[in-house]
Amino acid sequence: MLAYSLKRLLQLVVSTFGVVTLVFFTLRLIPGDAAAALAGDTITGEALERLREQMGLNKPILAQYLTYLWDLVTLRFGETITTGLPISGLLSQAFPITLSIALATITLSLIIAVPLGAMAAFMAHKGRKTLDNLITTAAMLADLMPSFWTGLVFLLFFSLMLGLFPASGMVSFDDPVTFLKRIALPVMVLSVTQIATMARITRTAVLEVLSEDYIRTARSLGWSEVRVLFRHALKNAALPIVTIVGLSFGSLLNGTVIVEFIFTIPGLGSLLVNGINSRDYQLVQTLIVFYALFFVSVNLVTDLIYKQIDPRVQL
Amino acid sequence: MTMSSLGRLWVLAAGVSLATGLAIPHAALAQDKTLRVRFYDDPAGFDPASIFRIENENIAFNIFSGLTTYDSTTGKVVPDLAESWSTPDNITWTFKLRHGVKWQKGYGEFTSADVLYSFSRTRDPATASPYATDLAGIVKIETPDDYTVVIQLNAPDGNFVHTVANYHQGQILSKKAVEAAGKQVRWQPVGTGPYYLDSVDVNSRIVLKRHKEYYKGPAPIDTIVFQIIKDEATSTIALRKGEIDLAMRANKEENLQTLAREGFKLNKVDNYAVALRVHNLSNKALSDIRVRQALAHAIDYEAISKATSPSLQAAAHSMLMPWMDVYTPKVPRYEFDQAKAKKLLAEAGYAKGLTIKNLSTSAQGVTEFQQFEIDYLSQIGVKMEMELVDTPTFNQRRNNGDFDITTRLLPAVNPDMILFSFLDPDNIAPKGLNGARYNNSKLMALLKGAKAEVDPSKRLRMYEEVQQIAMTDLPYFPLYTNNVVWPGKPGVTGVKINYLAQVNFYEVDMK
Repeated sequence: MLAYSLKRLLQLVVSTFGVVTLVFFTLRLIPGDAAAALAGDTITGEALERLREQMGLNKPILAQYLTYLWDLVTLRFGETITTGLPISGLLSQAFPITLSIALATITLSLIIAVPLGAMAAFMAHKGRKTLDNLITTAAMLADLMPSFWTGLVFLLFFSLMLGLFPASGMVSFDDPVTFLKRIALPVMVLSVTQIATMARITRTAVLEVLSEDYIRTARSLGWSEVRVLFRHALKNAALPIVTIVGLSFGSLLNGTVIVEFIFTIPGLGSLLVNGINSRDYQLVQTLIVFYALFFVSVNLVTDLIYKQIDPRVQL
Repeated sequence: MTMSSLGRLWVLAAGVSLATGLAIPHAALAQDKTLRVRFYDDPAGFDPASIFRIENENIAFNIFSGLTTYDSTTGKVVPDLAESWSTPDNITWTFKLRHGVKWQKGYGEFTSADVLYSFSRTRDPATASPYATDLAGIVKIETPDDYTVVIQLNAPDGNFVHTVANYHQGQILSKKAVEAAGKQVRWQPVGTGPYYLDSVDVNSRIVLKRHKEYYKGPAPIDTIVFQIIKDEATSTIALRKGEIDLAMRANKEENLQTLAREGFKLNKVDNYAVALRVHNLSNKALSDIRVRQALAHAIDYEAISKATSPSLQAAAHSMLMPWMDVYTPKVPRYEFDQAKAKKLLAEAGYAKGLTIKNLSTSAQGVTEFQQFEIDYLSQIGVKMEMELVDTPTFNQRRNNGDFDITTRLLPAVNPDMILFSFLDPDNIAPKGLNGARYNNSKLMALLKGAKAEVDPSKRLRMYEEVQQIAMTDLPYFPLYTNNVVWPGKPGVTGVKINYLAQVNFYEVDMK
């Protein structure tokens, strides 16, 4: 286990270096730089060149690359090109918000999706198709609803009509109640798709397990269906569920851009997309490294959890 | 992750079950007026030397002052820090400054030295200001006393009062405040305007407070909170729900109609700027004037604007706006006449039609307006293909002149800004905004003469002829004029959007 973790750590360093280099050069291959992005309708020619100079975009690329590597090693993230704000500050504000939303979404989704999926599998196994079909169809419909649509519908319904949650305002940890109210709608919107996916995966995994011999044995021992389903079947069906949670967690950290936009949540997704749109190399580079590190860590944790829940897994 | 954010997570976990219920009372601000305004993007800083985008400019407009400024309703140049000005020849400009003007945040009294400092700072190559070119015509700035500034230009410029208006390079800064702010000057602006910057949280809001010693007296509203709400639909819901009092810009027709129905006030400026289609004259087909005129006749722009967004657009007939003093309606008009368009195309040798690529942004997609254009053009055998690229790529290609046709909207109050930027061969892309690569020596001689002319009627006649030539040659075709709408609660008064799409919050009050 220790050897495995060390090996993975080494991989992490190598892959991060690869990501850093790749991101640095591909970013600069995209046409248009931060100056062109800012300039918009009004600035061209000589004025644009001055802007470039001001942003430090005129230095040779290799020099920029080496400076950047050294800054990374010495943990200096620098300032964004477009606003001159320290990137570490932006990151430390955005990350806890995105992480809170991701954790809350995963928790809410698991609480609803796993019993739902297990139930559907049980019904399917027993040949009681109606409920299974209902759950499966609902899950598919939910999966197909795009978040920009659910976002607006939820806003109209929960915010404007029922007045339960605010549509705008500060997202700050200083006031936990307001914070929770502010992230409630984004969490609900994100959960819709997550619940659908997790419920489907749970159903498939549990259904497969239910035909196994040991389940029949458990039943023949006279244990209740509930105990068989949730203690024996579900435990053995947990691997695919853990996998999907790991993946969802990853995608929730970077894929919430639209929801963040609609609800004006200053999270990581908006930070990254704004960075790309304004060609803020410094910001994007730092964020990508952060993402890379985070993803690899999540994968590592997922693998370790595998080992915990299923002793047959060899690391 | 830091310890404090871990701590926050515990707070979160503990609080999940308490999601509703408790309500924390708002700070006691009851007696002071607070206006909550929607701000539609992340703020990018307020240093006049490097400021960009209308929403940031609107904040700066209320923090700073210029020697002159614009009347919110008429767009005319009016006194600001300068009480009066005079020039015998459009070359030497003397400005008499207001006495007793106080800087915000205790930086003392404003004097002519501040004007000298601000203009010199923008012109200094070390500042690398994109607006340095706007002040490039200045040869010498003299400050004979604390309340007089004499500026000498290298060539006559009858519109120089626009250059020193409260906008970009014209905004006056305090030397002491700039030096105190150091590298953070864009986040610590200090001006002489009606409001000062109290705080900025780049993720959620900007707070302005009134400058009690403003030279015209304190503004009616104590605090203005600009809340960042990026999505149009969310902004509309926030307004309907009462979370904000006023929305900076709303550009979706359906939202405007909903708000109007529910009794909200649609504060509006018509014809603030014109969207121009740029014809790249180095394209073989587009270099033929008959093709350009055919395109103009082929499309019923009046009908498109009425059909797609009647509150936000109207048909345009000139490169200049009707409210500009040198505007003339006496220019060639291109009525909707597809037979004429086909005839012109045939004469140019394109009887069988042609294909033109239209460079646009993927963020915007193919707009309803463009869908109509494509359809109208197909009726005369012209195929308009859309080239959709992401915004920075679009900006770069448009600046480099790498397109057949594209669109550009340049907000300006100074007509010279529009005419010189688009028509002067010195500004041919990638050097400047003349993306058409238009070069007409007769027009240029008239334009330069008009800029220098001191006699008002001669000047108007010359500008008239410039507009006539431009609308005959059609290097640029005016697609539509843009309106700007700021929906607000009925109790919010005095929201007058000027021709730079900005609101002077000194004039705004609330019941």
